[in-house]
Amino acid sequence: MALEQNNRTTFRDNSRSLLIGCFWLLFIFLVLFILLLIGGLLNYANWETVKTVLRQEEFHFALFFTLWTSVLATGLAALFALPAAYILSRYKIPGKAFVDTLLDIPIVLPPLVSGIALLILFGPVLGGFLTALGLDIVFSSSGVVIAQWFIATPYAVRIMKQAFDGIDPRMENIARTLGYTPGNVFGKVTLPLAKNGIINGLIMTWTRTIGEFGATAMLAGITRMKTETLSVAIFLNMSMGDLKFAISTAIVMLLMALVSLITLKFFLKQEVIRF
Amino acid sequence: MKPALFTVQDLHVREGNFQLCDIGFTLEESQYLVILGPTGCGKSMLLETLAGLRYPKGGKMFLRGREITLLAPESRKFGFAYQDSLLFPFLNVKDNILFAVRSHKNRLESSIMKRVDELTEAMRITHLLDRYPQFLSGGEKQRVSLARALLSKPPLLLLDEPLSSLDPQTRSSIKELLRTIHDSEELGIIHVTHDFNEALQLGTHLLVMDQGRILRQGKVEDVFFRPSSKYLADFFMEENILQGRIEWRNGQAWFRQAGSPVEFGPLKRKKIPEKYPDEVALLIHAGDLSLSRANGYEESKANNWYGLIERVVNFSTHLEVVCSGNGKYKAILSNNEWKELDLQSGSRVRISVDVEDLHILPD
Repeated sequence: MALEQNNRTTFRDNSRSLLIGCFWLLFIFLVLFILLLIGGLLNYANWETVKTVLRQEEFHFALFFTLWTSVLATGLAALFALPAAYILSRYKIPGKAFVDTLLDIPIVLPPLVSGIALLILFGPVLGGFLTALGLDIVFSSSGVVIAQWFIATPYAVRIMKQAFDGIDPRMENIARTLGYTPGNVFGKVTLPLAKNGIINGLIMTWTRTIGEFGATAMLAGITRMKTETLSVAIFLNMSMGDLKFAISTAIVMLLMALVSLITLKFFLKQEVIRF
Repeated sequence: MKPALFTVQDLHVREGNFQLCDIGFTLEESQYLVILGPTGCGKSMLLETLAGLRYPKGGKMFLRGREITLLAPESRKFGFAYQDSLLFPFLNVKDNILFAVRSHKNRLESSIMKRVDELTEAMRITHLLDRYPQFLSGGEKQRVSLARALLSKPPLLLLDEPLSSLDPQTRSSIKELLRTIHDSEELGIIHVTHDFNEALQLGTHLLVMDQGRILRQGKVEDVFFRPSSKYLADFFMEENILQGRIEWRNGQAWFRQAGSPVEFGPLKRKKIPEKYPDEVALLIHAGDLSLSRANGYEESKANNWYGLIERVVNFSTHLEVVCSGNGKYKAILSNNEWKELDLQSGSRVRISVDVEDLHILPD
C-alpha cells in the first residue's frame, strides 16, 4: 500500500517536473526570440548610414514632432486618467462595470478603427463647429495629439487605477482624523503612496504614444514634414523603398523604448530600496 | 451639571446588508471604554462612525454637550489608531508623528517640538525618529502610531484592536503603555477588541456587541463577572454553566442541577430574577470553585460535591484544574494552593462553592 502510494507520488512529481521543464523551454524561447529580434535589427543596420540619417532634416522633424506630440498627449492622458482612475478605484458609481468597459474600448479596438471613429467625430460630426472656433483637428498636428491621447489614455487609467487600488483606504482615514480635508488627503497621502504606479503609468503611456500609428494615420494623415511622427516616417520611407532611413528610424525608436524602460525599472528599484 | 465627554444616542449605520442599530452609550471624562464583540459584529464600523469617517443613517453624537453628528473627521480631531499601525511609508517616524500639525502649520513652534519630545520619551521611541516605518518592529510601529494620534492632545482616543497583531511580550508592554497614556493624558479612550482579557485588564467600562447591536454595557466588573444571559456567559468563555431549575422550599430558593443530586443554595433573593423560565442556568466562575482533599466517601451536600481530577493545565501564573463529577467543572488555583493540595490527575477531590458566588443567568 505504502509502495503504491510512493509510486503515485513519484509519478506526480515526474509529471510536475515535465510541466516545469516545458515552462522553462517556452520561457527561454521567448527571451531568445526578443534578443534575436533586437540583435537582428541592430546587426542589419549600417552604422554609417544611421549616422547620415540622424543628420537629415526629415529625421529631425519626425523626432521632435514625435517628442512634443507624445509628451503633450501623455500630459493630457494623465490629466484625464488620474481623476478617472481615482473615481473608479474609490467610489461606488451606478453602472460602474459599463463605464469601466467603455474606457477599455480604445484598448480592444484596432487603432485603424479608432482612427476612423475619430475622423468621423472631428470631421462630419464636429468639424464645422470646431472650424468656426478656429480649431482644425483633421489632418493637422492637433489630430496627431488627439489620436495619441485617445489610444493611450485607457492604458494610463488601468495602470493608475491599479496604483490607487493598492492603497489601503484606512491610510486616508487616518489622515482625515489627523486634520486633513479630503483634498489635502489626496495630495499628502494618496498621491505619494500611488507615486510609483503613476510614474509607471506615465512612462507606459508615453511609450504607447510614441509608437502610435494607425489612429494617427487615419485622423491626421500621412504627410511628410507636417504630420510625420517617427512611426509615420518609417511607414513613408518603407513604402517608398528607402529601407536605410526606415531601419535607422526603427533603431532610434527601439533605443528610446529601451532607455525609457530601463529608467522606469531603475527608478522603481530605487523606490523599493527606500520603502 | 458638567456634560459627559462623549454621548452617543440611538445611532443607526448601514453598510450594504449589515447595519448597526440603536447604539447608545455615554463616556465620562477619563473613562476607558472597551467595546467587545466577535469578529464581524460591527465594532470597527462603529468606531469609524464615531470618528466621523462614516455618516450615520440616524442618531446623534455629542462631545462635551456639543452636537458633532455631522462634523467631518478633520474637525473632530479624535485620535485614531488601527491594529496594523498604518504609518505613512514615505515619511520617517518624526514626520509621521508631526503629520497632524503639518496640515495647518509649516513652521514648527517650540511647544510642538516639546510635545514631540514628551511623547517620544513616554513611548520610548526617541532613538527611532529618523527611521522609516518598514524598518520598525510591530510594537515600535504601534508606539509611533499612538504618538501620532496623541500629538494634538485629542479629547478622545479611538483604538481599533491595537494589540491584536502583536506578539504576547509586545502586547503586554503596549497594554502598560495604554494604561500610562490613559492616566497621564487625561483623555477618554474607546478601545475595540474581541479579546475579553484586554477588556478586563484595561477597561473601566465595557460594552458588549453582537450582530450590530449592544448586548450589555456597564462597569467591567458588573458586565463580566455578572453576565446577564447565558449567551454572554458563553461569550466570556465561562465554563461552569449548569442547567437546572429553581425550587422553592420553606420560602428559600434552591438551584437543582438537571440529572444530579447536588443542589445549590439557598440563593440570595436579590440574585433571583423577577421572571425566570422553568429551566435556568447557574454560573460559577472558575476562580470561585474551591478544591480540597476528599476524606473517605461522604455524601454530596448543598454546594459541595465530589469528583475526579481529569486534567491539570499549568500556566505560568496559575493552574486550571478540570474535574469531573456530576458534569465537568473548571477551577483556577494558584501554584501555592495546588502544591498544598498535593494531588494529581485521577485523584478524588471535594469541590465546593460559596453561596455568594452563585449567579443565576436570567435568560
